[in-house]
Amino acid sequence: MEKYYLGLDGGSTYLKAALMKDKKVVGTVVYPTGIDNNGVAKKIVAALCKKYGISRTDIGYIMATGYSRKILEVADDDISEITAHAYGVRVTAPQGYRPGMVIDIGGQDSKIIYLDANYNVKNFTMNDKCAAGTGKFMEVIAQILETTIDQVGPLSLESTAPCDINSTCVVFAQSEVISLVARKVDRRDILAGMHLSMAKRIIKMMKKSEKGGDILMTGGGALNTGIHRAFEEEMLKDVYVAKYPQFNGAVGAALIASERGGI
Amino acid sequence: MSESSEINGRQRELFIRKSTRVAASYLKRAKALSEMPDAAKPFFDVLENTYVKLADIQKPEDMKSIGTLCVMVPAELVYAAGAMPVRLCSGSYTAYSIGDDYIPRDACPLVKAVMGFGKIKALPAFDNCSLLVAPVTCDCKKKLAGVIDSVKDTIPLHIPPLKKDDADTEVFLKELYRLIPLLEKETGKQVTAKSLAEGINMVGNAQYEMSEFLKYRRHDPALMSGTQVMSVMNAYSYMPVNMWAKQMHRLNEELKLRLGQGHFVSRKNQPRILVTGSPIAFPNIKVPLLIEEMGGVLAADETCMGERGLYDPVSVIDASFDGMMRSLASRYTKPCTCPVFVDNSQRIYRIKQMIKDNKIQGVIYHVLRGCLVYDYEYQLMEDAMGKMDIPIIRVESDYNEEDVEQLRIRIEAFIELIKLKELKKEA
Repeated sequence: MEKYYLGLDGGSTYLKAALMKDKKVVGTVVYPTGIDNNGVAKKIVAALCKKYGISRTDIGYIMATGYSRKILEVADDDISEITAHAYGVRVTAPQGYRPGMVIDIGGQDSKIIYLDANYNVKNFTMNDKCAAGTGKFMEVIAQILETTIDQVGPLSLESTAPCDINSTCVVFAQSEVISLVARKVDRRDILAGMHLSMAKRIIKMMKKSEKGGDILMTGGGALNTGIHRAFEEEMLKDVYVAKYPQFNGAVGAALIASERGGI
Repeated sequence: MSESSEINGRQRELFIRKSTRVAASYLKRAKALSEMPDAAKPFFDVLENTYVKLADIQKPEDMKSIGTLCVMVPAELVYAAGAMPVRLCSGSYTAYSIGDDYIPRDACPLVKAVMGFGKIKALPAFDNCSLLVAPVTCDCKKKLAGVIDSVKDTIPLHIPPLKKDDADTEVFLKELYRLIPLLEKETGKQVTAKSLAEGINMVGNAQYEMSEFLKYRRHDPALMSGTQVMSVMNAYSYMPVNMWAKQMHRLNEELKLRLGQGHFVSRKNQPRILVTGSPIAFPNIKVPLLIEEMGGVLAADETCMGERGLYDPVSVIDASFDGMMRSLASRYTKPCTCPVFVDNSQRIYRIKQMIKDNKIQGVIYHVLRGCLVYDYEYQLMEDAMGKMDIPIIRVESDYNEEDVEQLRIRIEAFIELIKLKELKKEA
């Protein structure tokens, strides 16, 4: 019988898991990371086994990725997020599209990965130690605007006049947003402005020399329709969203585990 | 200068406590990478003496120390004047934070570390240099030469921005002639045709040992960790050249033995990496360490604290005094691959050659924040590597330990990228 393969993506905010069989995604779960990465990972494995009626021995290999990848005891091996995301899009790219550039927006970092025609990583760039342009930034702003992270996208799409947010730092941007609120600027316009400013910041990391292939968004940030639109408007190009974007790293880890175990 | 920017005794005490600890921990990590050849230990002892025990350089008593920066001050000339050149380009994180108070924010960390040592007066190897010869190279070094003069007598050495024509070498030759009486005044000894020939021989001997060493360094699988190799080359700055060469000879003998016994420190599937870019000066060896701790083999470096300064001997065609001076002027400009020269295409040729000779599978391009000249050449390098199908990644860093995790993920992903690429090739 074909074995199951599990990818665990221990991010800064959430721990994501993808269970795969025959190179297809069987199921996914997500838990807040909290302070006990290891305990949460164990819980996830148990929960998945229960849900799909399998035992731990049915899982051929567990591959960890993400920021806590080295400390997850349930995992057989670990790989970096870059490799995991690059692998993930083999499964998560919408049918008929061939990604050349992957924009991943995570909780604490964002990265751009360039792929060749065979999905091999050509190059990559990441943001530095700064939360601007990451999911955390969205969360902070959502809180000030008294909304939730899942609403910031839809709300911003209703904006007719996005405002300018010029600060490149989360803390400064936060006070800038507060002063916009004080001036009674519509929060939909603030959100749209925030998405444009985030997109601009991430686009600055892109390499002009890398061309070819479709542009694909992954990571929890890709669930936000507002940032998706902002990328299209700033780049003047079509940008596509991966299937299960939040689980792309976990899917990639599971896929690489099924292909070759550790590397 | 305001009162607050003056260094006091308590500050110096705290500085010593912190900087010696940082240096000791990096030495420990480098030693732990793989079984170190016994003959490499004396080089580590030199770094420990200099940065942890804060001892002066071990050398003959009547030999003065002359501080130098960059790779354009001819060591031969300093030895000919009876002194020892001590390379003061530093990687100290602690000295960097001191220098930060005197150097503008956007300047590179290396010049800040040099200025920091100038101010703190806690490193005998630095403080006992009676003079500093500072080549006018990049903008940061140029302005450093101006400001560090307040704490150490400094001779700026003009470096021609072009190096192709004979006229450029003539300019540098004049500079070297100008340097002679200044060195003589400092040491009280004359630079003669005999002492210059001796200087050239001494340094040439070290370069010969270096070229032998490089043969062992490039062996696949590796005979010695590349981070340890870089530490050995860093120790060159703080050892009289004949002592360094003698110890290097012992190291070569031991590596020869290792080769005969098949005593290797790397496995077959570990990616072989070349590091190039901004200087990697002890104790800032975090990039080499990360490469090897994440499973890469640091098989070569094209950096000025490493192979660049040591690999090209002076070749004397005309043995007259002027002939030797001309050979020096030519050796220290023409083959030099420092990016301060307007046209530096040699650097790319050299790296291409190194990739071939050392079976390199990937290049890590190190850029220190504020180091514009190296960053300028990244694009050229990326294009050249693209044509050779050699992956390259740019990592930007600074003199602190806060970015280690960010660097680690980049370097780890880069090593995975090479591994997967090679696996595909095999399949």
